[in-house]
Amino acid sequence: MTILMDEVLQEIVDQAYGAARLGRNGDSSDRDVISAKVLTELEVAGDAMRYLDRKGRIAWRVSPWLRDHLMDLQRDAEAEFEAEDI
Amino acid sequence: MLDRPAPAIDLSIDALKANLQRLEGEWEAYQSTRDRDGIYGFLTAVFELVAVWAHEGTAVDYARWALWLRGHRSAVVSPEPFAAVIFCTADRKKADYRTRSKWSRVLRYAAEYKDLDEPLATYIKRKGGINRCAARFARRLGRSGRTEATETHRPLDRPFRQRTFLWCGGPQIR
Repeated sequence: MTILMDEVLQEIVDQAYGAARLGRNGDSSDRDVISAKVLTELEVAGDAMRYLDRKGRIAWRVSPWLRDHLMDLQRDAEAEFEAEDI
Repeated sequence: MLDRPAPAIDLSIDALKANLQRLEGEWEAYQSTRDRDGIYGFLTAVFELVAVWAHEGTAVDYARWALWLRGHRSAVVSPEPFAAVIFCTADRKKADYRTRSKWSRVLRYAAEYKDLDEPLATYIKRKGGINRCAARFARRLGRSGRTEATETHRPLDRPFRQRTFLWCGGPQIR
């Protein structure tokens, strides 16, 4: 069973896993080890948090702060895209 | 290999600090809104944090660490986790002892009886609101209702409730 996490965190972990497999950072290429390391760093930074999912399992998701920040970025990008169309 | 359990990720002191800061942010957000339901955002954040600790069997230990991090070095040996986290993250000038105590009773009640897939705010409102839930706690789980509660509900039926009820385990704080 792998560590449960939302899409945003999964993407971040996938990037770290890809980098590790290519040997760019000299870390272990075990997916669980990389996931744990990345999630720990994100939690300390206040970007990720643990929660109990509907089945009572520990899962991870982005923190409200990071979620709001990403939504702001998305809104900005969409606004810029619309401005370019004009 | 795919069936192996997910690795446990220990909670470091820095991670605990980050979690407490996040809850302080929720408190600030509650203070800055005029929405009468704003308190539910803060209470939900507290509830989710302590629920994870309870699931891991470390709620009391982390609650003690939280108090210690906030400078309450002479705090009680076995603090009630919800009360401790509220104490550490809410402004004590804005929320007095009675209010904080009431919130912690509401959260303890929800920890025992709420389904995992029901949002905390929905559950509390469905049960008549914060004051009514605090009263329900007193009746069913408080000092006067504890004997009755053991006969009428079975927390061991469900894993989360079991761990909430038994609050146990040692800290993995580095």
